[in-house]
Amino acid sequence: MRRTLTILLAGGVGSRLNILVRLRAKPAVPFGGQYRIIDFTLSNIANSGLTRVAVLTQYKPLSMMDHIGDGSSWDMSGRTRSVNILPPKTGEKDWDWYRGTADAVRQNLDFITSAGNCTDVLVLSGDHVYAMDYRPLVEFHRSFSAKVTIGMIRVPREETQNFGIGIVDNKHRIIDWEEKPKKARSNLASMGIYVFDRDYLVTMLRRTKEEDFGHHIIPKAMEEKNVYAYDFKGYWKDVGTIQAYWDANMDLLDPESDLKPEAWGTKTNVVAEGPPYDRQPIRIHDEAEVSNSAVSPGCVIKGQVRRSVLSPGVIVEKRVSINDSIIMHDTVIKSGTSVSKCIIDKRVTIGKGCIIGTGNAEAANYEFPEQLNSGITLIGKRATIPDGTKIGTNCIVYPMITKSDFRSLSIKDGSTLEKL
Amino acid sequence: MKDVLALILAGGRVDELGVFTLYRPKSILPFGGLYRIIDFPMSNLMHSGIGRVGIFSQYRPFHLMEHIANGAPWDMVGRKRFATVLPPFKREGASDWYRGTADAVYQNLDFIRLNNPDLVLILSGDHVYKMDYRSIVEFHREKNADLTVAFTKVPREGAHRFGLGMIANEEPRGGRLMQYVEKPDRPAFDWASLTIYVFRPWILMEALEENARTNSHEFGRDIIPALLKNRNVYGFKHSGYWGYTRTPQEYWQTNMDLLGSKPKLNIDAWAVVTNLAHRDIQDRQPAFIGSSAVVRNSLLYSGCRVEGTVTNSILFPGVEIGDGAVVEDSILCFDTKIGKKARIMKTIIDNEVHAERNVAVGNARDGRLCLIGRGAHIPEGVAIPQGVTVFPNLGPAHFTGGHYKPGDIIK
Repeated sequence: MRRTLTILLAGGVGSRLNILVRLRAKPAVPFGGQYRIIDFTLSNIANSGLTRVAVLTQYKPLSMMDHIGDGSSWDMSGRTRSVNILPPKTGEKDWDWYRGTADAVRQNLDFITSAGNCTDVLVLSGDHVYAMDYRPLVEFHRSFSAKVTIGMIRVPREETQNFGIGIVDNKHRIIDWEEKPKKARSNLASMGIYVFDRDYLVTMLRRTKEEDFGHHIIPKAMEEKNVYAYDFKGYWKDVGTIQAYWDANMDLLDPESDLKPEAWGTKTNVVAEGPPYDRQPIRIHDEAEVSNSAVSPGCVIKGQVRRSVLSPGVIVEKRVSINDSIIMHDTVIKSGTSVSKCIIDKRVTIGKGCIIGTGNAEAANYEFPEQLNSGITLIGKRATIPDGTKIGTNCIVYPMITKSDFRSLSIKDGSTLEKL
Repeated sequence: MKDVLALILAGGRVDELGVFTLYRPKSILPFGGLYRIIDFPMSNLMHSGIGRVGIFSQYRPFHLMEHIANGAPWDMVGRKRFATVLPPFKREGASDWYRGTADAVYQNLDFIRLNNPDLVLILSGDHVYKMDYRSIVEFHREKNADLTVAFTKVPREGAHRFGLGMIANEEPRGGRLMQYVEKPDRPAFDWASLTIYVFRPWILMEALEENARTNSHEFGRDIIPALLKNRNVYGFKHSGYWGYTRTPQEYWQTNMDLLGSKPKLNIDAWAVVTNLAHRDIQDRQPAFIGSSAVVRNSLLYSGCRVEGTVTNSILFPGVEIGDGAVVEDSILCFDTKIGKKARIMKTIIDNEVHAERNVAVGNARDGRLCLIGRGAHIPEGVAIPQGVTVFPNLGPAHFTGGHYKPGDIIK
C-alpha cells in the first residue's frame, strides 16, 4: 500500500445535521459516545496499512486538527508513516475556499505530484460510519487497470434518492450514472470513495476546472469507459440527517446490529478531547438504574438511564429520567429532570425539574420540517436550560443559550429557540 | 522543580500478595477500575512539576516497562524530562541483582551524578495517595535538612509493620526526627514512614557508599538510622488518605474505599493519570449495560459489557458479566469474563480470568476473600467456597477436584 496516496476530505459542512454542525464540520461531530464521525474513516485508513495520508479541512478546522494531532492515536505517525493536515491556503486570490471535492484535491495537487513512487490515489470523505479494508478495493482497481474505481454499496430502494447511483454492466464497469434520482434504475449507491490512477487524476485536474468528482469528473471518465464499481458489503451509514444520526447511535445498543467499533478496530483520540488527566471510571450510584445503554468514562449516574448513549463526563443527578437520548461530553442533567428522545450536545447544563422532549412527535419543526419531524429535540453546545423548563418535541435550542434568552419556560413542540 | 530528580522504588514483589504478584511487581497491580498503583506516585510527580524520574524495577519488569512506556502519559517527555526504567545490570567486577532498596540506588549512583540534581526525591511505588511533593521539598530546603522523611499518623495497633518515627514538636508541618525504629515489635510512636525521602545528593551518595560495605541495604533499616546519628534529619507530617495494598485484604479494602455515596478514598478530584495505551484501554468502546442488567454502587470502564447484576464492585476495562450472573463486593481486573448465572462474592479476580456459567465463587461480605490468579479458566458449575486461592493460568482440567474446602489453595 506504499504506492497508494490517501486524501481524506474532511471539510464537509453536513448542514442537514442542523445545530450539531453549527460549531464544527460534519466529520468532527461526536458519535457513539466517545468517537467522532471521522474516526471511522481514519481507523479504516490505518487498519488498511495506508501510510501516506493527507487530510483536507475547510469548515471550522481547529477542533479537527486537535483531534487528529500527529495521528499517533491511529498509529499513523512514525518515520515511514504520516498524516498531513492541509487547510485551504491563500492562492492568487485572497482566500481560495474549496468549491467542491475535485477543487479541494486540485488545490493540493502538489501533495500528489511531489510524492515519489505512487501509482494510485484513494479519495475518501470523513462523513460515514463504517468499517472497510481498502486493500481489496485498491487491488480490484489495479486488476482492472481502471482509471477510476468507485466504492459502492446496495442501499434500500427507498433511499436511492439520497445518493449517486451507478448502473453497471456484467464486467463491473459503470455505464451510466444518476445523481440523486427520484426513480432509480439501480440501487448501487456511491459511498464517496474513489480510487484514481494517479496520472489520470493529475491530468484530469489540470486539464479541466471542474469542481466536483460526483457531478463532473466521474461522468467525464465514464465517457472513456474506464470507471469501475467495487461492490462493498457490510455496515455503512451516511449519518447525514438527524434521524439517520440518531438511528446509527441506537445501533450501538442493538446486539443484532453490525455496528461494532471496538471489534472493527475503530480508534479515537481520547486525550485531546478531555481534561489534562484521565477520565475516571464510570461511577454508578446505589440509587441509579441503567439499562440498555452505552456509557463512557467519567460519567456519574445517580438517576435512571434507559436506551441512551452517554459520552464521557456526563453527570446524571438523582431522580432524573433519561430515555432514548444521545448525551455528549460533560453535560450535566440536574435532579428531577426528564429527558426523552433528545440529542444534547457538549457541556450543556439542564436545570432541576425540567421536562425535555415530551410532547406531540407529529409536530415537525416549523423552521426545518424536513430535518426535524420524528420527535427528536436538539439542544446545542454549552446551552444552559433554567430550572423548571418544559421543552417539547422536534425543538431546536441553539448553542450557548442562557437563561436570559428564555422569554417563557415553556417551549412548544416544533419551536426553535435562538439567542436573543 | 527542574532541579529535583525523583527515584521510584517499584521493583518489589511483596510475598503476601501471592498469586497477584507472581508475574508482576506490586507497583503494577491494577487498582480502582482503571489504574495501576504506580500511577499514584507518577501522577503526584506530574502535578508537582517534577519531570525527571528514574524507576527501579527488578521483579519481572516487562509489564512495568510497557506501562511506563516513554513517560509521555505523565508528560515526562522533552529535552529535560524523562521517565526511565532502570533494571539491574551487570557491571565489571561485581554485582547484578539489587540486594535491597538502598543497593538499587547505590548501583545507579552514576544515573544521579549524570543528572546532577539539587535534591533527590525517593518514593515507593506501592501506595495509593495524593501528595504535592513541592510542600516536602520546600520544608526540606527551609530546614536546610540533609534528609527529610515523610510520615503519617497511624493507630498503634498494626503500627509494628511500619518504620516509626518520633518527630520534635516544632511546627505543624513537622520537625527534627528524634528517633526512628524499623518495624518494632512494640510500637512506641504514632508516626509511620511513608517511604518518601528527600536527600541532599552528596549526603545520599556518602551514606550509600558506606552502606555498600555492609550486609544490609535498606533505607528504613539502615540508611535513616545511620544518618540520624550525625546529620540533619527531619520528619515531615503528611495528612490525607493513605492506602496500603500490601495484603489481599488491604488491597480489597482500599479498592472498596472508592465506593459509596461519600467514598473514603475520593480520587475523582485527584486527577490521576494512567497509560491509556497500555492494554489498549483507549481503543475500547463505551461500556454497555444491557436491558436486564442491574448495576449499583459500582465502578466500571469502557469495554465492559454487563448483562447481569453487579453490586459494590469494581470492573476494569473489558470485563463481561453474563445474563443472570451476580457479582458482589468483588474486584474484577482487565478482560475477565463471567458466564451466565455465575455467582462471584467477595473475590479478587486478576486479568483475563474466565469463569463459565453457573460457577460459584466466595461467600457473603463477612466471609473470607477469594483470590483468583490471572488467566485461570474455571469450568461450568464449579463451586469455590470462601477463602480459596486459585493459582494463575490453571486450565479447566485443574478443577476436577470436585469439592473444595474454605482456605484451599488450588494449584
